[in-house]
Amino acid sequence: MRRALVPAALVTLLVVAIQLEVFSSLRVSGVVFMLVWLWPLCVGLAGYTSLALFVALLGGIMFDTHATTPFGLTALVGMVLGYVASRLGREGVGDLDSAAIWVTPVIAAVGGFLAPLLYVGAGYFELNFGLWRGSLLSSMVVNAGAFFLFSRWVSRFAKLVGSVGERARR
Amino acid sequence: MATERSRRRALTLGAVATAVIAVLYLTSGVVAGLKSAANVVVNPFSWTVNQVARPIGHFLAGAINFNDVVAQNQKLRYELGKAQQQANQTWSLQRQLQQLTSELHVPFVGSLPMVAAQVTAISPTNFAATVDISVGRDNGVLAGMPVVANGGLVGSIISTSPHGSTVRLITDVNSSIGVTYASGKDTLLVTGRGVNNGLAATSVPLTTSISPGTIIATDGLQGGLYPPGLPVASVTKVSLTPGAATYNLVLRPSADLRNLHYLDVVIWEPST
Repeated sequence: MRRALVPAALVTLLVVAIQLEVFSSLRVSGVVFMLVWLWPLCVGLAGYTSLALFVALLGGIMFDTHATTPFGLTALVGMVLGYVASRLGREGVGDLDSAAIWVTPVIAAVGGFLAPLLYVGAGYFELNFGLWRGSLLSSMVVNAGAFFLFSRWVSRFAKLVGSVGERARR
Repeated sequence: MATERSRRRALTLGAVATAVIAVLYLTSGVVAGLKSAANVVVNPFSWTVNQVARPIGHFLAGAINFNDVVAQNQKLRYELGKAQQQANQTWSLQRQLQQLTSELHVPFVGSLPMVAAQVTAISPTNFAATVDISVGRDNGVLAGMPVVANGGLVGSIISTSPHGSTVRLITDVNSSIGVTYASGKDTLLVTGRGVNNGLAATSVPLTTSISPGTIIATDGLQGGLYPPGLPVASVTKVSLTPGAATYNLVLRPSADLRNLHYLDVVIWEPST
């Protein structure tokens, strides 16, 4: 894992930059597609638990420092997504090469659908009770759709980044 | 064995991360420092992405919407001319109003100084309606000051740095504004409904005479967050509250919040 940290960190920073520069203005029905959540989910699906938690924490904190929403929530949600996905990934569910073509997109879509809900729920722990009044349902639907569309490409890339450590070990 | 080790490692990392987030959250001063550090780290990546993405975006948008852009340009020129004419006509009236209001000791927003600012970033998340602007404490901008643009109130400053500020838009779920309409006797509390959902007012008494199209403005009550007379929104829908003898209002902001590029910070501090 340690060898994959540097490339994973660089890719994560690039993901945050794309999120901030491209997706914050490129909105679908006024909703932002959260690439910073899809990235740890896909790293998790590739079976790298610690790496998924690391990229979720780094990406989430970097993103949260640019937003006015409660600090740490994006990181927290990313970590939960990454961890749950990694449990599935370790069981071989969502493996790009062996599982059916729709499995990864469907898992990602479920993650994308639940992530905004998780975010609003986590907001209660930071005593922010107004988050649900925003575009919650639109966020859930748009993110589910976007996660469904992009998950295979991002997962392929996550596998490539994660395998850096494995190749080095060999 | 390896699985057990990796699980332990994941749990430890998770616990450490939660502790880090909690500590950073509880010590808000650290968050401010972290924010500038994060900016330094992310900025080169953002710059690179921007350099690649922006020309592509402009090219595609220009190519697809060329006819619209030309038509829009012509319309804007026409409207600019009309606005110039109107401005000339209202100039003398405004002077009279200023004189009268100063004699009556009533604050008038037209007489308040303003600082022009450029929007540098819009909120990157779905759960906050904010924009970052290019003026800060060095320009005399302080937290709480109202921000106007595109024909109405846009929001208020929530945080400042020496060279920049963050504006909470009136549509943010944490925004609430005291407003008045028509005769100025009735007041309402208007709240934001989220990034794309406009504004709302609930529990409006049935005795009030309000209808779609009514324009509402800040009430400027003693201790209020805004000076009086700033146009906030117009009523788009009036409906009866189910099970209660009150109205619910849906309102559209007077300012076009989707096209914010330049805005003015009103140098006015809320009274305490």
